[in-house]
Amino acid sequence: MGFWDKLVNLLGFKKKEVNILVVGLNNSGKSTVINHFKNEEEKLTEIVPTVGFNVEKFKNQNVGFTAFDMSGQGRYRDLWEHYYKDCHGIIFVIDSSDRLRLVVVREELNLLLQHPDIYGRRFPILFFANKMDVRDALSSVKIAAGLGLDQILDKSWHICASNALTGEGLQEGVEWLTQQVRELISNRS
Amino acid sequence: MGSRGLSPQQWLDAFNDLHASIYTFSRCMTLADINADGDYRLITSDLGTGTTNIKLKVYKGTTLMSESTLMDVPAGVVTFHMDMNEPRVPAIAVASGPSIFVYKNMRPYFKFSLPSMNVNPLEQDLWLEVRNKHMEVEIFYELLQNLRQELGFSNLTSRSQQLLMLDHSNWRSFVDQYKDIPLKRQSVITCITTLKKSMTDEDAASCLVAGTENSDIYILDPDAFTILENMNLGGEGNPTFVGVPAHMAATGLHDVEFRIVVVCRDGCVYLVRRAWTQARPLMQLPAQAVAMVVLPGNSSIVLALMNEFLIGYTKKGKKQWELKLPSAATAMAPVPLHHLGLTLVAVALTGGTVNFYSGCQIMDTITASDTVSALLFGRFGQEDHSLILVTISGHLLVKILKRTAQFTAQSSGTGMVPPQQIKMLVPKKTKVFMEQTLRERENAVAMHQTFQHDLFRLRLNTARACVNALQSCKNPFSMDTHEPIKMSAQVLGLGPTFKIHITLENMSASNPVKDLAITFHCDDKLYIIEKPFIQVPLLVPGLTYKFESLAECIAEVGISDQVQIFIVKLNYTQPVMAAVINMPISDVLALV
Repeated sequence: MGFWDKLVNLLGFKKKEVNILVVGLNNSGKSTVINHFKNEEEKLTEIVPTVGFNVEKFKNQNVGFTAFDMSGQGRYRDLWEHYYKDCHGIIFVIDSSDRLRLVVVREELNLLLQHPDIYGRRFPILFFANKMDVRDALSSVKIAAGLGLDQILDKSWHICASNALTGEGLQEGVEWLTQQVRELISNRS
Repeated sequence: MGSRGLSPQQWLDAFNDLHASIYTFSRCMTLADINADGDYRLITSDLGTGTTNIKLKVYKGTTLMSESTLMDVPAGVVTFHMDMNEPRVPAIAVASGPSIFVYKNMRPYFKFSLPSMNVNPLEQDLWLEVRNKHMEVEIFYELLQNLRQELGFSNLTSRSQQLLMLDHSNWRSFVDQYKDIPLKRQSVITCITTLKKSMTDEDAASCLVAGTENSDIYILDPDAFTILENMNLGGEGNPTFVGVPAHMAATGLHDVEFRIVVVCRDGCVYLVRRAWTQARPLMQLPAQAVAMVVLPGNSSIVLALMNEFLIGYTKKGKKQWELKLPSAATAMAPVPLHHLGLTLVAVALTGGTVNFYSGCQIMDTITASDTVSALLFGRFGQEDHSLILVTISGHLLVKILKRTAQFTAQSSGTGMVPPQQIKMLVPKKTKVFMEQTLRERENAVAMHQTFQHDLFRLRLNTARACVNALQSCKNPFSMDTHEPIKMSAQVLGLGPTFKIHITLENMSASNPVKDLAITFHCDDKLYIIEKPFIQVPLLVPGLTYKFESLAECIAEVGISDQVQIFIVKLNYTQPVMAAVINMPISDVLALV
């Protein structure tokens, strides 16, 4: 790599492209989260349950994100693992008002972390404790404890409470993710 | 049972409320999307103390969303769609006493009461007498007792029944309290279920089906709550005094074809079908039924009995299998798993064990903290595969089936037939087979000797051919240790002129080979070899040497012959080796 490339990289001028996998149970708000990051003219007014997956593109701080918005329905969760290999980061969306299925979230997270394409790799995982506005929603700290996130040692992770309808907390989360992805890429190159 | 290798845990513990203090049974529990928002709620009627504090409770996820007081002990709770109006809000029907209370949006909507029956005129007169103070209460009681002997307890009004069961001291106050209210005789609903009216959709309108203490089956219109059909299990007027319906399951469509399977308290199972004027007895159970499940696929009936047996019947009432349960069953629920193409039957046993059966095969076992009194599987909240358990001590447990769960029969390990049970394809003992066997047995020695003899001959012939080939040097490898040479020959071209390529290679490690030459031998009437004799230079080990010669076919007709190549050594009469080339047929057209 030439000096000029290095300089451009260092200053962050060069545009990077990364693949992000968006997973979580059905009705947790994955598509709504992604919808918030899209351009004003591309935004959807009504979000319907995703079938299979959708591919969306958005930009943050000069990093181009290609988000694979996976369907969270039980019968489509088998699809997730096919995209583990090519992703540079994961956004895991959790419905913090659904106490009943927190155990299912934990199960799915464990399956994800133990997958051969994920295990031992270093990349960031961003957790959105979504639907923070709902009455008696669990706090992000409680969710982190409930999911046993402190046991994730080989990956950097971050959890932030969010409300995908208003966009609260989303920017903070994705900025962290951008930062992490940047570090990851510059370390690699 | 401890010896059985249990598969890894298939169920996740989603919720565990030890202080729910619910007293209920499977028939008083249901799951429905009562707000039409995709979030399925658990609707359960808490029997309270059994007489008071009876409540209809609705759970949204883990929280108790609403409570409403019920008047009487419920016999069953079902949800159904009344109409096709949007939003698709289902109604809740609670059967208690002689009435069905219908709730919509958690508000009382309609009350259906069973039609009143004729009161015996004698009973009517007695109450009239006591009302007009023409009779002492003691005498009235005595006369009622006589009437009971005459008519049978069940044919009296519920008011008389209640009086007859009271203590002596309470008679007067009871009579004073009720004597002015007109006497009415109504039956009591014992079980309730739903039957789709005209469409099979999950949210299509359903009729209510109710069974009563008088062995009547009523089918109600979903919207108007009028009686669409009425049938007595014992025929008109119930002259045969058949049992009282205890469990009921309906399948099919009311407007097309339906089947209602009714299990009575006396262990008799009846079948009611569309356009039948009378119910037909299907079978008589060996013991009374605890619970019944009609499987959706083939309408086969699974019954848990009080004699600790689980029995499977076909839809026509033929026994298919039976199974001794480890202990008495308390509740049963179907567990349809569409993604696995499987319907299990969950059977709760005393002690807190819940076994999952597929047919008579046990597939999985879970344990609750206490004996489970109510069991229900279905969609709860957003989760399709939720199992709801209520124990006799009032604990509410919710378990969720893992997405990766696989059910395999546990009794035989993998569900495969053990190898010793696989039938082998033994041929039939025909006469020819027998004769052959006999012959083989008698002439075993001779047959073995013949076989050995033939085998040795074969080996000898092979060895002779090999020696012959070596002696005539017709092999492309030289066996002579002094001239270890490899040769390969190739014919190129279409004819009539062919080119023969010969490659020689010295295979020895260090010794060069000299004084070799190549000669050709062929029929000179057919072929003219351009260079019949080629002098070979010294062959250095490890290198390949290429030689070539033209061979022209001079035959008039399109025939071909062999060309033999010999590698000869100076002053030796025998060639070092030889190769035979089958020449291709010359392309005659090229001559023209």
